Amino acid sequence: MLSVKAAVAQKDLLSFDEHNKYIYYQVVDQPGLSIDTLQDRALYFAKTAYPKNTVKKGETSGNYTGTGKFLIVSGLAVAKHIDGEINYTYYIECKDQKYRYWLTDFVFTPYKVDRYGNSVPEQGVDIPLESGLSKLDKKQSDSYLNQAGAFSKQFGDKLKAYMIKASALPPKEIKKKVISTKDW
Amino acid sequence: MYQLIIKQPYFFNLNHLINMKKKILLLLLAASAFSYASKAQDTVKTTADAPLVLYGSVDTYYKDDFSGHANIPTSFASDNNSISIGMVDLGLKKTVGNASFVGELSFGPRSDASIPTSGYHIQNLYVSYNLTSKLNASAGYMSTFIGYEVISPSGNFNYSTSYLFTNGPFQNAGFKLTYAFSDKVSLMAGIFNDEWNAYTSAHDVSTFGAQLTVTPVKNWTAYLNVATGPTSGTEFDLTTAYQITTAFKLGLNAATFSPAHYSFGGTYGFSGVALYPQIAVSKAVTLGLREEYFKTNSSSDAALWNDISHPAAPLPGGSVLASTLTANIKAGPLTFIPEIRLDNINNKTNTIFTDNNGAPTTSATQFVLAAVYAF
Repeated sequence: MLSVKAAVAQKDLLSFDEHNKYIYYQVVDQPGLSIDTLQDRALYFAKTAYPKNTVKKGETSGNYTGTGKFLIVSGLAVAKHIDGEINYTYYIECKDQKYRYWLTDFVFTPYKVDRYGNSVPEQGVDIPLESGLSKLDKKQSDSYLNQAGAFSKQFGDKLKAYMIKASALPPKEIKKKVISTKDW
Repeated sequence: MYQLIIKQPYFFNLNHLINMKKKILLLLLAASAFSYASKAQDTVKTTADAPLVLYGSVDTYYKDDFSGHANIPTSFASDNNSISIGMVDLGLKKTVGNASFVGELSFGPRSDASIPTSGYHIQNLYVSYNLTSKLNASAGYMSTFIGYEVISPSGNFNYSTSYLFTNGPFQNAGFKLTYAFSDKVSLMAGIFNDEWNAYTSAHDVSTFGAQLTVTPVKNWTAYLNVATGPTSGTEFDLTTAYQITTAFKLGLNAATFSPAHYSFGGTYGFSGVALYPQIAVSKAVTLGLREEYFKTNSSSDAALWNDISHPAAPLPGGSVLASTLTANIKAGPLTFIPEIRLDNINNKTNTIFTDNNGAPTTSATQFVLAAVYAF
């Protein structure tokens, strides 16, 4: 029952923005860290945590944006059915001692099974989650919103983990310790 | 911890027994924690890779040929004036890291008519590996890369099938490499068994196949295919589909086939083209037309022709114009497919149709109502 409640709650993590689009928005205080450190870590996160995502600099310094996607699955615990994918846009903006991030532009593309058994996107069918109910049934729409909420939370948790760790930065080259057997 | 337990002296002393109990409990807790951690790792791993995926379909149909008997010879939906079954199609696939497998089983009359050995029930059985992010290798028994239509009813818009589909390959067993030059261009090249639609080769692995995939603009994909071999013959094929607007899609299939010089058993050359315009008229209903022209080469050997018990084509030199109007009415995973089809062969000397008196006739008309549940 707890897990069902948790699953249902995931869709409540999404809100509507001023353009009436679903958004997952968070502001995080990070005392003691400068904008330079935060933006380095944000860039490292964007490049390594989701390597298939695109990443580019935002309009102002210290900002990054990009697009990504995740699979939408349904079915039994042991054998899933891939319903489709959700494409999204993410934004990360850094300032001294705090940063904010948000995910939005959630667009669902249904998958079909091709002749080889591969699940592939149906061409030309893109359904923004905001208009999901006009093209999907309610159960599907709720399930996809739940999965979008759960993914967004996971994305945010991962980002937070990267932002607090100094080790998240690219490791500096360590000079190899060499022992000379000539002198002893 | 286990060592600590077995080293306990005075095993039967009460205090030691209590201590022992505590330690066993701790051991059990540790074991559960370890087991939980292992499960958590598995969960992470499963999430990172695609889950075990189950897919498939079930289909059933009713057909009424206006002549009173089955006339149109293309694949499947062959029973006339009968509520008949298609097949249960059941596929499993899994990807871990760069390795994948697909196993697709099928049962039923549609399955029997689409695979070489009905007892095997295998539509797809192959493994594949991503050698790099752009290069994939696959080997096994795979659906053919040729043509627009497929065996699974959930993969087609029309329920009846085209002459190009029926006369082309269904499956090719072999080994293929696919290289993606970019998001818009990829090339597949492979070596396949000498005969199409066979689980094992007759003599050798001598059919060469290639597919150039081009995506000129978003939602438009074109496939240029060739399969050629000294036993199987040579087929060139163009398959393309363009979702021009959210409501309108246009598909095209054109192909030409030349039999091998020393092939035996009744193969014949053909060429044809089929156009597939489709328009969504509501959230649940899409209408589509298949307009196909198919010609049997006049050079096809008439003697070999007689060996074929049920040729799915006009007699050598003949051509057929097949018009199929289909609706797809969706109710969740279930699709109802009402369809009316009119086939016309160019003249009586080349015809394979008979009227309700059994006399040769140039045209055949049928109505089909099918239901396909896909998951």
